[in-house]
Amino acid sequence: MTKSPEYRDLFPGALEMMILQSLRLKPMHGYALVKHIKQVSDNLLQIEEGSLYPALQRMLKEGWLESKEGISAKGRPTRIYRLTNAGRRRLEQEIASFEKMFAGITRVLAISKA
Amino acid sequence: MQFFRQFFSRRRRYSDLTLSMREHLEEKIEELMEEGMSREDAAFAARRDFGNVALIEEHSREVWQQPLLQFILADLKFSWRQAVRLPRFTIAAILTLAIGIAAQTTIYSVVHAVLIDPYPYRGAMRMVHLHLYDKEPFPDDLGLTGPQFAEFQKLPVLDGAIADDVYGRALTGEELPEEVQEARISPNAFEYFGVPALLGREFAPSDNTHVAVLSYHFWKSHYDGRLDVVGRTLEMDHEVFNIVGVLPQRFAWKGSDLYTPLAYSADPHRVANVFGRLKPGVSDRAAEQQIDPLLERFQHETPDNFPQIFKVHMVHINELAIGRFRGVLIILFISVSFLLMLACVNVAILLLARGEARQTEIALRKALGAGRQRIVGQLLTESLLLSLAGGACGVMLALAGIRLVGHFIVILPGLFPQEAEITLNVRVLLFSIGVSVATGVVCGLWPALRASRIDLRQVADAGSHKLAGRKGVRNSHMALLACQAAITVLLLACSGATVQRLSRLMHADLEYDPQHLFSVSMTIREGTHPTWSDRVGYYEQIRRTIEADPEIVSAAIAQSNLPPTDFASTPVSIPGMNTAGTEVEPERVSADYFTTLRIPLLHGRTWSAPEMAHAAHLALINQAMQLRYWPNRNPIGETIVLNHGVTPVNAWTLVSPGSDQHFQIIGVVGDTPNRSLEEQVVPAVYLPYTGVMHDWVNMVMRTRGTPSAALLHRIKQQVHAIDAGQAVGDIVTAEDLLQGDMGRDRFVASMFTAFALLGLAFAVSGLYCIQSFLVTQRTREFGVRIALGARREHIVSLVTRSSLLAVLAGTGIGLALDIALSQIFSHWTSGNSRDPGMLAIVVVVLLIAAALASIVPARLAASIEPMEALRAE
Repeated sequence: MTKSPEYRDLFPGALEMMILQSLRLKPMHGYALVKHIKQVSDNLLQIEEGSLYPALQRMLKEGWLESKEGISAKGRPTRIYRLTNAGRRRLEQEIASFEKMFAGITRVLAISKA
Repeated sequence: MQFFRQFFSRRRRYSDLTLSMREHLEEKIEELMEEGMSREDAAFAARRDFGNVALIEEHSREVWQQPLLQFILADLKFSWRQAVRLPRFTIAAILTLAIGIAAQTTIYSVVHAVLIDPYPYRGAMRMVHLHLYDKEPFPDDLGLTGPQFAEFQKLPVLDGAIADDVYGRALTGEELPEEVQEARISPNAFEYFGVPALLGREFAPSDNTHVAVLSYHFWKSHYDGRLDVVGRTLEMDHEVFNIVGVLPQRFAWKGSDLYTPLAYSADPHRVANVFGRLKPGVSDRAAEQQIDPLLERFQHETPDNFPQIFKVHMVHINELAIGRFRGVLIILFISVSFLLMLACVNVAILLLARGEARQTEIALRKALGAGRQRIVGQLLTESLLLSLAGGACGVMLALAGIRLVGHFIVILPGLFPQEAEITLNVRVLLFSIGVSVATGVVCGLWPALRASRIDLRQVADAGSHKLAGRKGVRNSHMALLACQAAITVLLLACSGATVQRLSRLMHADLEYDPQHLFSVSMTIREGTHPTWSDRVGYYEQIRRTIEADPEIVSAAIAQSNLPPTDFASTPVSIPGMNTAGTEVEPERVSADYFTTLRIPLLHGRTWSAPEMAHAAHLALINQAMQLRYWPNRNPIGETIVLNHGVTPVNAWTLVSPGSDQHFQIIGVVGDTPNRSLEEQVVPAVYLPYTGVMHDWVNMVMRTRGTPSAALLHRIKQQVHAIDAGQAVGDIVTAEDLLQGDMGRDRFVASMFTAFALLGLAFAVSGLYCIQSFLVTQRTREFGVRIALGARREHIVSLVTRSSLLAVLAGTGIGLALDIALSQIFSHWTSGNSRDPGMLAIVVVVLLIAAALASIVPARLAASIEPMEALRAE
């Protein structure tokens, strides 16, 4: 997939953080998750839809998520992903460390502007 | 736990994933179509946004995978398929390893049980017999009186000492008395041995003398191993003993039936044999230096109990039990190590040949993206699987081997010390398996490492590669083959030498007829038949009663054992001849001895009944004696003087009146073996047994046919009728004695022969394998050669020439080694491993086997059809 210059790559862990945050609102299936992230980010974040799946498997394996049988919006059988307690704790850690990093970056940018 | 759950839930995870992804795409397509796209465009757009479905699915799955474990499982599965696909290769490799491992383990288990740890006694390897040597090589055990023993015990070089006195006693209280062997041992003995009782307790110095501890075998045979035996009583010569305990199976000191406390008599002639244990770190020499002066003093006190001039010599108990057999066992162990080596070489050949044949496969895998690690891992798994399967079969075969040796022990008692317990030696088993695994790994990896360096083009361009076969591989094959041939020659030579020796022993000229000949021993109860004439009459009465039995042809009395072994030399002097320092073997027998044993009377006559009854001073000599002292003269009528004219006396002997050890020769008889079957017959003198009578005697008898089971019982009854308290020992047959004398030779010959045959089989299979491999490898080349007009003989010679050269070279090396080592071999086994006739047979056997092994590959090569060979790629 060619990348247009106005989009940039996500930093490592960003996709996971967004998935965890989205699933904190409510359990969702794969496509719903992609749509949710795209909508909320106003399509500013470019993610390859498929890249969601390896990330989901990793998080399942870590025990942050669990999946159960469910029905999609169109009535087809699929898997619904839900946040576990471990996932919730993970999200809090991620957000905390992200905020720290973001604050740092902001300060550096502020100094160079001055 | 979680690891396994995840590992086994993989498949469900995979299908969940597929389901999710499929639903994702479908939903997207539907949405796009709702926006007005055609299904085709929608599907295309959905896939474009999604990315590479297959790759993403692959990446997602990888999250769940345990790469190492899965690789191993895949390797195992593949190895199993390989093994099943080539059953002959697999079976050959596994069997070869199994046999090598089993043979090595079995023999080492024997060596360990017999040489390294044969005795259950505390500090057994420091336990010694004290042999008194005068000038002759036939020693006496040291015998001391009670006070002397008490003093001896305190020597600082000793870590304890015991005294014992072994008796044949009559077990009474049953219908017929039965002879048992009672060992009276000093009360400190059990503390000295340090082996706890199996049942009850052992006796201690505080016990009275009427307690008995039973040996394990006696407990089993007389009490059926019953637990309530402790506290019961038994009777020996009507004396009552309390049974206080039972000893474990491995306690077999002197092989006695039961043990009672020794009470030293006040009579200075009644000595007991003394044995000691050296303190750790004390050398035999140092101990002898300290013991000698003490014994010299004892000799002054009781000169009758010691030889005139003597030297004490320490003999460790295992040395006594094993003697020269130690060397044989070590040689056996070395040979079996060679056998294991042969087995490993054989497996190496098999693996190398297969590794070569798989070069294409390996290169192809590499071209398809298999990493070096994966290829090596794969081949390693295969080799390990083979080695471990071989090891597992080896364990089972080793267990069978131990049972086989156990069988040898049953049929050849005396092969090993009675205390030795042969069990599977786990450490050596692991070592052998380790060696075989190492072989498997090295020989499995070598081709793999080489192959992982070449690339597919080289191998697939197989023309050049397959034309001549790779030189390096061929060289290593030829070296292995030569090595096999050399070892096989050595093993065959050992086998040939031992078999030759055994056959010489079996066909030795005995000068007596062992068939249907046997003896029973009898020991007179202490204090009965106390006068000389009474005892003469008593023995003769028993002999006549036995002879009257309808099954018996004739019966005789002898104080010696049946041939072939008896050691009791005595100095001889002959008036008018310089015989200084020479000795002869005195045999005290009755007149019927020669007819009963069927020893030929060559000259003169035997004793008459009155001469025997009066212990006439008349002797017969054997032919060896005649040749030694009167080579060209008739010895009859000559006089000989034994033991310097002194009659040997001790507390257990009765001597005829007027005995002066001067004898006149009245006859010459044939040479029956009187050392062992392999040694030359030494000069022997036959004397009337009535001259010096011990308190025990052997009744020698010949039956008409195989003795019936009832015979011994009848003899016991008849003897019982003469003297109700007289016990009769077990039957000993002359043939058993001969077998016993040959027992070790038989064991050694069978072991070496088994090794040699296995070795030969390994060498033949190695040769066959190399040649067949060569043929398959070069089929195309041979096809081309035949198409170009090469003659079939030429092709056959191409296949066989280098292998046969290697075998010949190996044979030469083997022969050279054999001749170089023959000195050591003959020293330990008394076999001749450089006998040219035997070596010729060995070489012929090996070459015939090699030729047979070459027939199939040679015919295969000769029957190659050029057209088919060229097409067969």
